[in-house]
Amino acid sequence: MTQAVLEAREIRKAYRRHQVLRGVNLAVAPGQLAAVVGENGSGKSTLLKILAGTLAADRGEVELAGTLGYCPQDPVLNDSLTVGQHLRYFAAARRLPSLRRAEELLARLGYEQYRGQVAGELSGGTRQKLNLTLAMLHDPDVLLLDEPYQGFDWETYLRFWDLAGDLRARRKTVVIITHLVFEQDRSDLLADLAGGHLTPRQSSAGEDDHARR
Amino acid sequence: MPAADLAPDPARPAVPANLPAFRQFPVAWRFALRNQARNRLAWLLLIAFVPAWYELMAGIAGHTPLTFKLYATGRVLTVDGGHLTLITAGLNAVTMIVGFAVFAAIRRTLAFDKRLVFAGYRQATLVTAKTLAIAVMAAAVAGYISLVLVAFWRPGLAGGAAIATAFTVIALAYGALGLLLGVLVGNDLEGFFLIIMGSLMDTFLQNPLGNPLANKPVLQWFPSFGPTQFAVAGSLGHTALWDHLALGLAWPAAFAGIGLVIFRARTRIRTHHDR
Repeated sequence: MTQAVLEAREIRKAYRRHQVLRGVNLAVAPGQLAAVVGENGSGKSTLLKILAGTLAADRGEVELAGTLGYCPQDPVLNDSLTVGQHLRYFAAARRLPSLRRAEELLARLGYEQYRGQVAGELSGGTRQKLNLTLAMLHDPDVLLLDEPYQGFDWETYLRFWDLAGDLRARRKTVVIITHLVFEQDRSDLLADLAGGHLTPRQSSAGEDDHARR
Repeated sequence: MPAADLAPDPARPAVPANLPAFRQFPVAWRFALRNQARNRLAWLLLIAFVPAWYELMAGIAGHTPLTFKLYATGRVLTVDGGHLTLITAGLNAVTMIVGFAVFAAIRRTLAFDKRLVFAGYRQATLVTAKTLAIAVMAAAVAGYISLVLVAFWRPGLAGGAAIATAFTVIALAYGALGLLLGVLVGNDLEGFFLIIMGSLMDTFLQNPLGNPLANKPVLQWFPSFGPTQFAVAGSLGHTALWDHLALGLAWPAAFAGIGLVIFRARTRIRTHHDR
């Protein structure tokens, strides 16, 4: 198989006595779209936070080749700043020389008209668009998305998948957490998180399975 | 790598750097200041509460003579209780408003700051911008509350300068306390309660008006001890107690130092192993 761009080995995590992850393995190659499915409380978001590096695992290791973007499930925004100010703030964080990619994402997700509005006054769906944009501003090699389309209308939802398709075409890697069954056909790699283990399924795209017990 | 190795690796920037890091500062500074200035309740308190508070406290105190001990010289001043109480009321208003505003601003953006650090913002840049914004806001609030005092009492130029300086020092102390509580406590109510109760106890215990602890050495262990001594000595005793002003500055240094260490820990990110 192609060298994985993101690889997690034997990830374990417990909250006090509750073992959430019991040795999770995942390897994702460039250009792959991996979907992780599981019931509420199965540890999907915990796994993604560990992959992103915002939460420490109790044991295990994560290796990454390239840049990373992470879109948390609940939008992490500053309600007093406008959409445009968020973009400038995160462009400064990423030390980007221009806002070209930000402008492109604003247009692709269809919310340019809210550029001057403060985040606290945005609808849930538009907040989520901004949340997603901030994760993608630097065009990362690996993008981790935790149910990124909550509150999206149907049109935006389709635009999102167009965007994901573009990323895949440019050999970018996407790991997405979802619970929607009909989305599972869109992935190259589909894995169930249950009982603290990640188990690969044969996906319709017919790619090699890179998730393993 | 074992989980214990999921530690920051300063050698590796989170993203390729295109622009120099110092370009992050002006953006952080501008937004930190905006964030501090955004609290509508704090503005309302400044406009409505401060004059009303002075009026009320001056009315309660009347002009009863009070004895006030200057610890640096051992002198005991006999002063107009109304004037002394106006100083206490001003100190109290400064501490509550600055403490509350900073606490609210820090708490509101803690998760957002963590995301900024995750996205590559230097912690030191964010911390410096925040600290400077807090200091500027604290000084501005202290200056304003000193000016409002003049409507109730004219302590003279030197006296007024001493009071404004003392208000600025206590504002820095409570700004730093707001920062510390903002990164430390679990919820908003806890923080507001600690600031309000701390401020009331701290400032009013320094005033001998109906206070059994008046002029007792235990008062030295409160943040407003130094500023109160400096303000009273400057405005009512015609003495500048610089040592006590410096003592007052030790509190903001300590609060801010601990608060910033916790802020760093709470916005820390873990980097991955590179292939």
